[in-house]
Amino acid sequence: MSKIIVCFKWVKAEDDLRIDPATLNVDLSKAKGKISEYDRNAIETAKLAADASGGEAVALTYGAADAKASLKDAMSRGPKQAFWVNDQSAESADGFVTANVLASAIRKIGDYSLIICAEGAADTYAHQVGPRIGAIMDIPVISFVKEMKIEGNKLTAVRKLENSFEQVEVELPAVVTVLPEINPAPIPGLKAVLDAGKKPVTEFKIQDLELDQDDITRKTEVASFKGCSTSRKKIMFTEGDTKERVNALVAALKKEGVL
Amino acid sequence: MAGIYVYSDNSELNGELITLARTSGQEVCAMALSDADAAEIVKFGPDTIFILKGQNPIAESYTGAMAKLLTDQDASVFLVGATVRGRDIAAQVAAKVRCGLISEAGNLTFKDGAVQANRFMYGGLTEQIETGKALTAVTIPSGKYQSVKNESVKSVVVSMTVDTDPRIRLLGSSPVVKEGADLSKAKRIVCAGMGFDKKEDLKIAEDLATSMGAEVGCTRCIAEDRGWMPASTYIGISGAVVKPDLYLALGVSGQIQHTFGVRDSKVIVGINNNEKAAIFNVVDYGIVGDLYEVAPLLTEAVKNS
Repeated sequence: MSKIIVCFKWVKAEDDLRIDPATLNVDLSKAKGKISEYDRNAIETAKLAADASGGEAVALTYGAADAKASLKDAMSRGPKQAFWVNDQSAESADGFVTANVLASAIRKIGDYSLIICAEGAADTYAHQVGPRIGAIMDIPVISFVKEMKIEGNKLTAVRKLENSFEQVEVELPAVVTVLPEINPAPIPGLKAVLDAGKKPVTEFKIQDLELDQDDITRKTEVASFKGCSTSRKKIMFTEGDTKERVNALVAALKKEGVL
Repeated sequence: MAGIYVYSDNSELNGELITLARTSGQEVCAMALSDADAAEIVKFGPDTIFILKGQNPIAESYTGAMAKLLTDQDASVFLVGATVRGRDIAAQVAAKVRCGLISEAGNLTFKDGAVQANRFMYGGLTEQIETGKALTAVTIPSGKYQSVKNESVKSVVVSMTVDTDPRIRLLGSSPVVKEGADLSKAKRIVCAGMGFDKKEDLKIAEDLATSMGAEVGCTRCIAEDRGWMPASTYIGISGAVVKPDLYLALGVSGQIQHTFGVRDSKVIVGINNNEKAAIFNVVDYGIVGDLYEVAPLLTEAVKNS
């Protein structure tokens, strides 16, 4: 049975980021992990596509040791098995490295008909990896998809552009990047969560993949990573009852000249 | 010839990118996929316009040809407009030429053959400055830079026939039907989020909007998952990107994809019953409270002010 491979990312929950207001240094160490929200929709897309076309949905991630927790979570959402490229380098990888690693892992997994990625990740939101994977593997890419259908070896999709919807078709195998509205991402039930613990996980190391040093060396350098010195005032009205707080807000908006 | 190469499927963005590229002091070369596109681009006075002529009407099918041009010409930077097509094209070209890509960049500077730019992460909580030393692709959102016409430069036009990827076939295209308010031009916007329990309750947002002469927008979930408002009124990176004077979020959690679309608002207000909601990281003013209590009081207060 050919595989429908959905790539997902274990990201730090932004709510847990601690930013020192004086130095703007960012502390990620206390942040819990989560499957990037958009990837949850993508995982469901893979499940639905596998159900409809008779393929096998499998999940693939490239993450450091803490991404182990993501595998069961991902499989509870439908995929029959998970593949994990376990390497610390994931923490500092850019789109170039991530796509190289995932493409190599996909070649190693083999027998795939469709690769599904979300349009972007919740942390970086760089929307690079899906199209890059297609280019590296030399298979067609359809990006920003809001509807798709598989019939035999043919995939038709509706893409959402700024002012239009575009209907396109490709023969499989292909890469599709999906918008969150393609389908909801239901919260897995208890049975699905329990079953996920019994599903197989395959772990790869970077050395298991056919990658040279250049493939895993990031192309852009990070000169700094800081909390945003946002120009936003972040004034919270906490004094008095609700009516008094509302009045204080109206007064502030008047003063800003926006009311 | 070496230099800054520019592509966008959006003609206004082409002007912004070419004007930005001029600040580098390097040669500025634009790519066009038709004579008609080239005729638009020439107004902005790039040094050279390469017209790539292929068979497939989908711009994304030109990524192989674009990658070859950048390599053959020893380009230093590939600037792409961050439209839907532009994001896809930049990523595919970057993979083909094995270079880095700085997505949705701001504050781009050119120095000593390198580029440096910042980009937001974690929904705008953090900012990363990235540099690229060799050829680097960069996508730039619309409206970040001025577009200046420059008809004094006589652009050299090079027309070439190229191979396009035949594997993606265009079946058709239909315009997005715009229903509801045109949020892109609104001065004030009240945005309804998942804090609303049922569709009828959206009247609370409408009443508030009416009191302050605002339009009503919503989050993606309200439009796409619940179907309570037209898809064209949802705000976010895959929906409407807005820059009103006042953006007021009612019961909006503030996920990155949403807040991306309101970043350029002059004043942002959040009302949410969860004091830890991400929206409070990006507001000018906030009230922690139940929108069902706060919003009607706010409507009254605005009316009486």
